[in-house]
Amino acid sequence: METTKPNIERVLNEGVARLLGRASDSRALNREALTPRISAAVEKYLLRNDPNTSAGEIAKFIDELQADDLCLIIACERGDENAWNDLVERFTATVRSAARSASTNEDAAEDLAQSIWAELYGLRTRKDGMPASKLAYYSGRGSLAGWLRAVVAQLAVDVFRKQSRLVQTEEDTDLERLARAAEGQPIVAGIPTPEESMSNRFAQTDLQNALQQAVQELPAEDRLLVKLYYFDNLRLREAGVVLGVHEATASRRLTRIQTDLRKRVTKILIDERGWTQAETERSFAEVAQHLDTDLESLLSKEAADLPG
Amino acid sequence: MEMKQETKNEMDLLLRRLGRRDESTVSNAADEHLDADELSAYAENALPAAARARYTAHLAECSHCRQILVQLSSSAGVVSATESVKASGPSVWSRFLAGLFTPMVLRYAAPALGLIVVAVIGFVVLRRDQSPEYVTQVSNNEQRPTALPAAEPTASVVDSPSKAAAKQEDLAEQQKRNLQAETAPAPNAPPSVSSIETEVSKDAAAQPKPQQQPATANEAPPAKAAPEERPRAAEPEVSKKEVKEVPAATRAAPQTALQAEQREDSRTHGFVRDKAADDVSAPAAGAGSKLKRDELNVSANSRTVAGRRFTKKGGVWIDSAYDSSKDSTTLARGSEQYRALVGDEPEIKTIADALDGEIIVVWKGRTYRIR
Repeated sequence: METTKPNIERVLNEGVARLLGRASDSRALNREALTPRISAAVEKYLLRNDPNTSAGEIAKFIDELQADDLCLIIACERGDENAWNDLVERFTATVRSAARSASTNEDAAEDLAQSIWAELYGLRTRKDGMPASKLAYYSGRGSLAGWLRAVVAQLAVDVFRKQSRLVQTEEDTDLERLARAAEGQPIVAGIPTPEESMSNRFAQTDLQNALQQAVQELPAEDRLLVKLYYFDNLRLREAGVVLGVHEATASRRLTRIQTDLRKRVTKILIDERGWTQAETERSFAEVAQHLDTDLESLLSKEAADLPG
Repeated sequence: MEMKQETKNEMDLLLRRLGRRDESTVSNAADEHLDADELSAYAENALPAAARARYTAHLAECSHCRQILVQLSSSAGVVSATESVKASGPSVWSRFLAGLFTPMVLRYAAPALGLIVVAVIGFVVLRRDQSPEYVTQVSNNEQRPTALPAAEPTASVVDSPSKAAAKQEDLAEQQKRNLQAETAPAPNAPPSVSSIETEVSKDAAAQPKPQQQPATANEAPPAKAAPEERPRAAEPEVSKKEVKEVPAATRAAPQTALQAEQREDSRTHGFVRDKAADDVSAPAAGAGSKLKRDELNVSANSRTVAGRRFTKKGGVWIDSAYDSSKDSTTLARGSEQYRALVGDEPEIKTIADALDGEIIVVWKGRTYRIR
């Protein structure tokens, strides 16, 4: 059933009334104070993705909002001193803890925490004379503590990025060594001719490009797991937490993705780059062989580095 | 399966390489970053499905937002939608448990529970007697009191009241005294079991089993077995809990090979025999002062963990169910795959913890090689 505008308004009004009813402390807010914020949240999280979202889904969405947190924040925004005191009292520890985990030292953490409170209080003013506070962006969809942690983390990242630029300091490992091996040393057995070296190098480039393409073609959820695990170097458990799945599920999913990727890469190499099946198999086998060599040398190096 | 493992390694390596290469270039490719509200709602899994899918697509491309999301997820300790499906389990589970303790159910459940407790205690007592039986017989012949408590339940199992000789009565009396001395200091024994054992021992004292005497009479007294057996007899639960060693082989260690063979013929009922373990234990015969080490050798070459039988061959613990014609999955201890596997199958961790070095274990029809 298409949700018409009057329909949405009715659902909103009823939803806001229910929200005020279930809040343990509605901070003397009325329906008019809450409706614009809730309407914006419905637009952002539901109607933007699906303009025909049903009335039932909208009502459910509103009923799942954090009623007390939302009332507290809107009351703060409207200049309720008691609400502001409550906010500071309840969440000072949360903000400080988030600032500590995002900072390198105690002083930086304290500065960050102070900046957050200033941002929330709204020291700047908007054109209409109201304080320009970040509080206006809390929708009530997630917890207030989580939102505050996100505000701290965002500010910390912005500050960090302004102060320093990311420098790639990765060691030459794995395939870089493989690439060097492909350039000047035998890959499987025997000494390759210059033509073989050249073709190996092209083969590796083709393989890498095909893999990059295959990763881009993965479904977003799978691509996110690949990025979290391989690009951001998260552990499976951590990646699972981000995706909201158990570590074992993440592991199984990653195994399936690897199998899918190999099939996609093989298809790309054969269909688009003109490789034969045998060539793709050989290329993968070479990678596997050098993985073993690399692991052995890495382990022997680690053993040699161990004290005593 | 081997091929599949290789495939995984290849893709693993290629993807790691790709990750390093693209890390700096992709990071800010996204158009507009997620705001704090979107990030926190995503981290708490509080978004409608369509919105979540849209943000997932963004996060897959934007390392800036991923970085913040990872921080939020780890600090918030969030529970996922998938897991929250499971999380709805506990409420159902708790309702089920609450239902179990309603008066109506308890009226029938309490007597049934009592019967089960009695059955379990009986089972424990019967199991306790099996492996130390042999030791007991050896020890009795030497008038050594150390392993006697373990013999008591056996006596009650084969309860035959007919021929009770005076000598047997003396022996039973001594057993009873020793039992009373032994049961008190055993820290692992549950009080209920101890008291039942005491009761059982009284029965045994009054009605010694006829089977026991001929057995001990034929026994060549082992010179140094009993002192070594003492801790084992005193801590039967410990030896049974995780790693069930092969008792017959272990007990045979101080004997001559011939005596060991005789015992095999006559008294291995109730034991799990292991030829490989015997092979190892036989050369150790007579080396009384090194008995402990020999026992370790035996247990180090054949062990039963989590109900699975393992024999060490060529430095590798091999599951008795292993079929070399089948493919295996190789896992390194501590690897993500290993942790994921033991997350699903905790018994494999029990096995891997109990056995050192490389292990081949067959679990639910699949073969795992753990290094």
